[in-house]
Amino acid sequence: MSAKANKITHDNCGRSGADFKSVAELKNRCILVTGGTGFVGKWITEMVCFLNAEHKLNIKLYLLARDTESFKTEVPHLAKNPCVNLIQQDVRHLSEMPKDVNYVINAAGSPDRREHASKPLSTIDTFYKGTNSILEECFRLPGLHKILHLSSNFIYGNLNSDKIKETDMGTLDSNSINATYGEIKRLTETLCAVYGNQQHLPIVVVRPFGFVGPYQKLDKPWAITSFVRDAIHGGPIKILGNEAAQRSYLYGSDLAFWLLKLLVKGKDDSVYNVGSSHCVSLKELAEKIKNIVDKKMEIVNRTSKEVYHHTSKSVPDISLITKHAHVEETFTLQEALESTIAWNKLMKR
Amino acid sequence: MKHIVIHDPTLRDGNHAVAHQLSAKQIDIYTKAAEKAGIPVVEVGHGNGLGASSLQVGEALESDVVLLETARKNLKNSKLSIHCIPGFATIKRDLERAISIGVDVVRVASHCTEADITQRHIAYSREKGKDTYGVLMMSHMASVKLLVEEAQKMELYGAEGIIIMDSSGNYLPEDVRERISALVNGLGVPVGFHGHNNLGMAVANSIAALEAGAKMLDATSRGFGAGAGNTQLEVLIAVMHRLGYKTGIDLYKVLDASDIAEKDIMPKVPTINSESIVSGLSGVFSGFAKHVSRISKEYKVDPRDVYFELGKRKVVAGQEDLIIEVVMELVKIRDNK
Repeated sequence: MSAKANKITHDNCGRSGADFKSVAELKNRCILVTGGTGFVGKWITEMVCFLNAEHKLNIKLYLLARDTESFKTEVPHLAKNPCVNLIQQDVRHLSEMPKDVNYVINAAGSPDRREHASKPLSTIDTFYKGTNSILEECFRLPGLHKILHLSSNFIYGNLNSDKIKETDMGTLDSNSINATYGEIKRLTETLCAVYGNQQHLPIVVVRPFGFVGPYQKLDKPWAITSFVRDAIHGGPIKILGNEAAQRSYLYGSDLAFWLLKLLVKGKDDSVYNVGSSHCVSLKELAEKIKNIVDKKMEIVNRTSKEVYHHTSKSVPDISLITKHAHVEETFTLQEALESTIAWNKLMKR
Repeated sequence: MKHIVIHDPTLRDGNHAVAHQLSAKQIDIYTKAAEKAGIPVVEVGHGNGLGASSLQVGEALESDVVLLETARKNLKNSKLSIHCIPGFATIKRDLERAISIGVDVVRVASHCTEADITQRHIAYSREKGKDTYGVLMMSHMASVKLLVEEAQKMELYGAEGIIIMDSSGNYLPEDVRERISALVNGLGVPVGFHGHNNLGMAVANSIAALEAGAKMLDATSRGFGAGAGNTQLEVLIAVMHRLGYKTGIDLYKVLDASDIAEKDIMPKVPTINSESIVSGLSGVFSGFAKHVSRISKEYKVDPRDVYFELGKRKVVAGQEDLIIEVVMELVKIRDNK
């Protein structure tokens, strides 16, 4: 990793975490992140390292993952930080968690839909057993304050809402392999509800939407990662499917700070959407990326239909998290894209 | 006027018809003609695709490198395409080399129920910026629901379009309409159809595919391809022109290309013979034709019985070694009578 790339992510945290006093409660506390070496884990680590370095919060971090070795290779500047402790374990078969853990963020399991399609049984197994195992272990933690369980916007199924509220609920075609991820995430939410009710665990459920930023691998099967990859490779940018589909993207450092805020401000047994409320069509998104990288770049749309009778929209209503945790988006989409592209160009060198 | 992209696998599927013996000279001749005709995509290679030359499915006369480099030299506006079945084609040994030669289009294929095997190849090709499609072969062997789900997997993996193959020429137009409609509804990316002519329906099936929303069609000069051959390119173009579809292909020049193909590429123009009718009816991969014919003759069994038995066993491309097993069983039954 180049020093310049690290400076980008560090500076990003400074901007997203400007309201650091709002997470002062985390001072001298210990957070464990399962699935800690993925996109979410890396950004939380980046943010915690920033808060410790710049504001002396002295937060201790445990990152639990199946493969911690790649974390050391990919982000040595984070892996070497004294506040970071790596635990290599399969979340389905946890042995005892460190007893000093006060907060748990359960981000284990891949959101990569290719994996869900290719290995649906393993997906179900990992999310169900993993969540169950984590909640069982949490029950034994003496100083536990909060568990943040990361669910997914996929649990909403097919909705026609303009902006999706936490109380909206669409349908999932359960008799389809495509329902694997949405259905298992629904089940993990129910598990959380059961543990909250029966064991009185302090659980907050988070439903993440779309994100963008450094540490997001460009081979992921999402429009934004494909567009950035296409653009960095010189184009054309390929829009696959309905170019009018609406999405929204929250920047990685904002995501990290929002999650830390929820550890402090999130109300037990509540569910919060986490994502940007600013919607953008895929066509507009491709145009923005093109204009950042090369205004002459071609954009092509490969689509099965001339006319779409339904345009998918996946944009959250974030009034609840805004009300309870006073979060704000500190990066516009334009700034998020510029920063992401600059970081990826540095990493490509 | 609706624009349809034509992919021409004369120099790939046609290789099945000559036991993979197409020469560099023949590749040179046909690619020049295809380029002149303005055929958008020209597919080149061993009949079973990249890296497939082997004792099991047949050794090619020319290496992949020779085939692709010869074609690359002549194709300027037409895109150079490869058929790539993971297992035959490895990323490191085959795909990487093909891309370095300058392939524009990579069509990653699997049996219709095994899309999972295409993930890494599709991802690699997309990462390299190539036009990347998913191909589901022997598509008649999957239910419509399963076919859509497998196609959706390929779309998730990054395929920019999905082509279904009627590899045994089994479909009737209504079958095609049902599947293509379901795919168009279930996918965001364009859908294509690759027909075979075992039951004489290839052109009609291709038109049914267009009417159901397909945006890509495969067709070969004189239908040069496995078994009874493919959808006949020059006929298809003529019919499409009459129906008002736009292809960007020059009719006279594609007629010239097919004349050249008949003269210089194929020892004989594919016809629908008794065996290929049975192959279509039994739903057996057209690429088996030469092997079935040869082995049946050698052991004096009726090739039609062989096809129906292979059909019962639901054999797929790559299982050519089962032909001998079936023939030996038929011999045993005959000898016991």
